[in-house]
Amino acid sequence: MTHVGYKTILVASLGVLAAGCTSSEIPVDEEGNTPPPGSTVGSEDNTFSHDNTTISPWELVDRLTKEGPPRYTSRVHSCPKVRYRTFGNVLASVGVNVGNNTNLSAGQLYRTGGNAMGAPNFANRIRENIAITTSGASRAFDIFAAAAPEIIAAVPTLERCQINGQPAALFNSLDQCEASGITCIIGVPAQATHLDLCNLTIQRASTPEVGKRLAVAALMAAAYTCE
Amino acid sequence: MKRISILLAAATSFAVPACSSDSTNPGNEPQPDAGVTGDEWDQLLGQREVDFNAALRIAALRLTGDLPTMEEITRVASAPEEGKRAEYEAIVRDYLERPSFARQIFYFWRDTFKMGENTELDRAPAFAAQLSVENRSYLELFTATENTCPTFDEGAATFTPANCPGNAPTAGVLTDPGAMKHFFGNFAFRRVAWVQETFDCAKFPIEISETPTDVGGASPYIGVWPFQSISGLATGRVDFLDVSAVVCANCHQSINHIAPLFANFDQNGVYQNQIAVPTPLDGAPLAQRTDYLPEGEGTAWRFGVPAPDLPSLGAAIAADPDVAKCGVARVWNWALGKTDIVDTLQEVPVETIQTQLDQFIANGHKMKDLIFAVYTSDDFVKF
Repeated sequence: MTHVGYKTILVASLGVLAAGCTSSEIPVDEEGNTPPPGSTVGSEDNTFSHDNTTISPWELVDRLTKEGPPRYTSRVHSCPKVRYRTFGNVLASVGVNVGNNTNLSAGQLYRTGGNAMGAPNFANRIRENIAITTSGASRAFDIFAAAAPEIIAAVPTLERCQINGQPAALFNSLDQCEASGITCIIGVPAQATHLDLCNLTIQRASTPEVGKRLAVAALMAAAYTCE
Repeated sequence: MKRISILLAAATSFAVPACSSDSTNPGNEPQPDAGVTGDEWDQLLGQREVDFNAALRIAALRLTGDLPTMEEITRVASAPEEGKRAEYEAIVRDYLERPSFARQIFYFWRDTFKMGENTELDRAPAFAAQLSVENRSYLELFTATENTCPTFDEGAATFTPANCPGNAPTAGVLTDPGAMKHFFGNFAFRRVAWVQETFDCAKFPIEISETPTDVGGASPYIGVWPFQSISGLATGRVDFLDVSAVVCANCHQSINHIAPLFANFDQNGVYQNQIAVPTPLDGAPLAQRTDYLPEGEGTAWRFGVPAPDLPSLGAAIAADPDVAKCGVARVWNWALGKTDIVDTLQEVPVETIQTQLDQFIANGHKMKDLIFAVYTSDDFVKF
């Protein structure tokens, strides 16, 4: 006995590829395994119209070509979005009030952003979508922009960001970025490039205060594009 | 276990040369490294570097649902090179003992099972989470006979053991009333698909013969069961032997041998003493056993693996080596940030997880040990 999953897609893919990627015809399942999507749409006389949708062979071949074979992709980290609940935890962890009801506050944008951010819908048997989507990334960036003032105010007081009782700081008295605060909000040790970009953002802004908000929002957006 | 790896490899070998005829680099082609042997993908793997702080951030977000503290970040960052792994592993062990881990693994199982967020639908994820937190055997998901319907207090991160309501025979989450209700459908086929895809990580058809048989259709029958081992119109009311559109039996050879075992759960997930699922026939009459299988044909997990009742089905699933591999692959994909292994075909070749799989099997399929092994694996800490 063999044990085959989506053989059909790949058999179809091979057939198309053998034609040099020029065929526009729908791939034919020569081995007769899984019927092509849509082919089980019928009536009581044959298939009872049950769903057999599956991933497109074109998408699969495109993915294999771009990302590599499973023996490679399975061994490297992907870039999933931050899960919705985790996103809320992170916001709270950097000092954002996620319960804030003020319109367009970070908390309000987060709490009303579940659908846009791909939260699960278990009532309809749908898992959380951890792929990065335009709607999800846009909402996340909006939240970070709104959250920046709260984060700037909170970081010096956050216990999580302290070492030996010493608070972290995002900025010094000269309006320059500090590594400790950046490390605290992004979760990995800040590198020179983080500091450079942070300082550059402040320098190019209309005022230092605007620059600080932009810098924090940009750092957060970059750090939390992927979980 | 053959699954698709061979075909994937073949597809890739064809795909790359066939679709990248442009002699210039399109921008996403890996570049060879003179110092690393193997093909371009091996070279890319060889170019990764260990970064325990990057790994710590991901581990913290997935295992605790939050960022690492500055103290944790600094412990790893300031450790000497030879001591970084020990510091990292100590922190991961600590994460696995925290209440926040119980919550995170509960959410992981909700996602895996595609169910949750109300009392009924949270029992199966809670049971799986409890097995994980208490480092019990993964196989209890299929074989446990009591306390399979615990409740989980998210605030306190505590489990309260409980038996499932009703009088169903008990076989881990396979008999969970919430799951049976959630995946209710004609002939109980949706329940079968849920079990198959969740725990075996592949869609039907799943049993493929190396010697296809001509049964009069446009394409041959590829199953391993005798073609007549499931019902057609001669014995039932639905023609599972139909070949006019597709060869239904390619999938239904397996499905029909499993589904009767789940057919006594009604639309509310309550176990009845007779079949309680409808058919898609006019008037939606209840299914009959002869709709699935001819008289005398027994239920089974796979060809040659009989399962006369739900506990024996659970035992058969627990004994299936592909099921253990699927469990490891799901944890692996969670850690590495992959989308669903079935829905998006994020296959994990067994070679990738062989070390963790061997340990998992040798170590009594203990869940927390598996999670630790995956989150401290070489692949997890390299970028």
